[in-house]
Amino acid sequence: MRKIIHIDMDAFFASVEQRDNPEWRGLPVVVGGAPSRRGVVAAASYEARRFGIRSAMSSARALQRCPHVVFVPPRFEVYRAVSEQIHGIFAQYTDMIEPLSLDEAYLDVSACDVLGGSATRIAEALRADIFRATQLTASAGVSYNKFLAKMASDQNKPDGLCVIHPQRGEAFVGELPIGDFHGVGPATEKKMQQWGIRTGADLRKKSREWLAAHFGKSAGYYYDIARGVDERPVRTHRIRKSIGSETTFAQDLNREAAMLAVLEQRLEKVLLQLEKKRWNARTLTVKVKYADFTQVTRSKSLDEPSHGVSAFRRQLPELLRSTEARSKPVRLLGVTLSNLSPQADSSEEEPSQYPLF
Amino acid sequence: MKLHLSRESLLTPLQKVIGAVERKNTMPALGNVLIKAQGGEIQMTATDLEIELLAKSVLPVDQEGDITLPARKLLDICKNLPDGADITLQVDAERATLSSGRSRFKLSTLPAADFPQLEAVQGVTQFTLPQSTLRKVIDKTSFAMAQQDVRYYLNGLMLELDGSTVRAVATDGHRLALCETDAGLDIGDKKQVIIPRKGVQELSRLLDDEERDAEVSLSNNHIQVDLGNLRFTSKLIDGRFPDYQRVMPANCDKVVSADKQDLKLALTRTSVLSNEKYKGVRLVADNGALTIQTNNPEQEEAEEQLEVQYQGENMEIGFNVNYMLDVLNNLTEELVTIALKDANSSCLVEEVGEQTAKYVIMPMRL
Repeated sequence: MRKIIHIDMDAFFASVEQRDNPEWRGLPVVVGGAPSRRGVVAAASYEARRFGIRSAMSSARALQRCPHVVFVPPRFEVYRAVSEQIHGIFAQYTDMIEPLSLDEAYLDVSACDVLGGSATRIAEALRADIFRATQLTASAGVSYNKFLAKMASDQNKPDGLCVIHPQRGEAFVGELPIGDFHGVGPATEKKMQQWGIRTGADLRKKSREWLAAHFGKSAGYYYDIARGVDERPVRTHRIRKSIGSETTFAQDLNREAAMLAVLEQRLEKVLLQLEKKRWNARTLTVKVKYADFTQVTRSKSLDEPSHGVSAFRRQLPELLRSTEARSKPVRLLGVTLSNLSPQADSSEEEPSQYPLF
Repeated sequence: MKLHLSRESLLTPLQKVIGAVERKNTMPALGNVLIKAQGGEIQMTATDLEIELLAKSVLPVDQEGDITLPARKLLDICKNLPDGADITLQVDAERATLSSGRSRFKLSTLPAADFPQLEAVQGVTQFTLPQSTLRKVIDKTSFAMAQQDVRYYLNGLMLELDGSTVRAVATDGHRLALCETDAGLDIGDKKQVIIPRKGVQELSRLLDDEERDAEVSLSNNHIQVDLGNLRFTSKLIDGRFPDYQRVMPANCDKVVSADKQDLKLALTRTSVLSNEKYKGVRLVADNGALTIQTNNPEQEEAEEQLEVQYQGENMEIGFNVNYMLDVLNNLTEELVTIALKDANSSCLVEEVGEQTAKYVIMPMRL
């Protein structure tokens, strides 16, 4: 039986803002785009959630629900730094870490022998370490697979811990309202309700065949989670999916030549990183944010993966021209390479050319 | 503007400057050649904003003036007129008319004032050397320049002036070519510039093997080479070229001397069965013999044995065969030496009798 911990920071972005701005503590705080700029809520403090404000809601809607809410623009570089700090803490306990986002991660502590090998005590120690280092609270779920660990971390939020022992797994799932299942969205929930499925126990009564007929390829997943079964391993080596670089200008750009020069510069920067990692990329994406903050991305995939400048540089003018950059002032330009694969000659088996310098 | 001239006197300068005209260009003027007819002289200029080529010829001018014309169209017309054909070129208003015998061509024009000019070369170091000398140091090294490397400063040729010596160095990060010669210069402080790849190729095309002088001017941003009737100007690459001295191999005590032609042919034959992507060949030197081996993913194999001068312990090293062939193709003498240290260190290739050029090649792990 595995021992999995799911760590989830409580209202992460909003909590960081309240930590760094004491005057906002105890107030409803929303991190996200300003309502006047058609922004959305990236995170809401617990005070704001009491007004019914949720992530991904439009900022304008949030303002309707709570007119005195504090709007804060996100500071991703700060969140990223805190996230790294937290990962450093995880790494002191195990190297089996699967980060899901800046504020969430799975840890497999099956092979961990500190604190008597007790996953519960490790989870408590993690929460205490995180609070000591960052003054931020985290909730933890402990169980024998990823699904249950994730469900558990939601149980006693915020600043809580929940352990689902193997003998209690099935019972826990059985009582769980169907809408609370990770992987059951509002649409699926409605559909299940129509079939009389209100809890995990109801779901468990359905056969694999019945589920397949009604829910297609998700059937196997539903069948398993209704029984508290989830064999997915904690994946420590998530492959990076893209490398990008972007820059915001002090003054909006109008000239196409200047924009192209910036894009070329960004491309070179990104290619240097690509080269360092000995990767190829296939897809080039140009991102353009106009002065009015609307943004578009345009992509082009090469026939063959490449790490050469020319192959990608040739695409830039066309990609830029397929945006409105020539008629609208531009405040930000960025370049991303994705569809990454290792360069063929980076493997140990292949011949390799030594560099001169 | 009105000119009366022979096909050759129009074609020759046009062919000299055409290299600067970009095939694809964003500015219409860059597809044109600037023609200035003034004071008994015709000047033609082409540019891609990085390099500028100018050709001058002394010719009678019927009516002075300046205009720009579509360069490739003009070239293609001249090329296909019969040898020795008489040409009249007349510009009125927006059109230029080229007539020769019973042929007539009306070409679009753009005003000379709209033609971009590189800024004047200022704050200069100047020196003069024979064209053949400049051409030699360029031609012996330019094949080793990088192509579109992200290390942009490698996509060019480093020209260094050091006391009385002129030195050219090119490298793509895997191999390096250096050629230096005493040109009797008198340069105070050592000066180093990087000429972009395209400029190097065009300059080499303009230089001839004769002893006529090339007047070189270097500023912080530009190089200008004046050849009398031709003038080459190029922007310089702003960057730090790698320290070539640091990568010159030292303590290479295992020296193989071979006949250049034999070695070249053996390598060329062997390369046929090398891995098409990596082009690796294995060289094994053992008393008096050099064995060249390779194989490819299809399990095909090649082995050649050459008689060479080599005394020393058995030595095995892998190379990209193309790097070795590039060097051999640029040597003039008959005997070549390959100085090796070990399988992981660079080797030094030189020709016997000609001490001006040195070639460094990094090995491959095979």
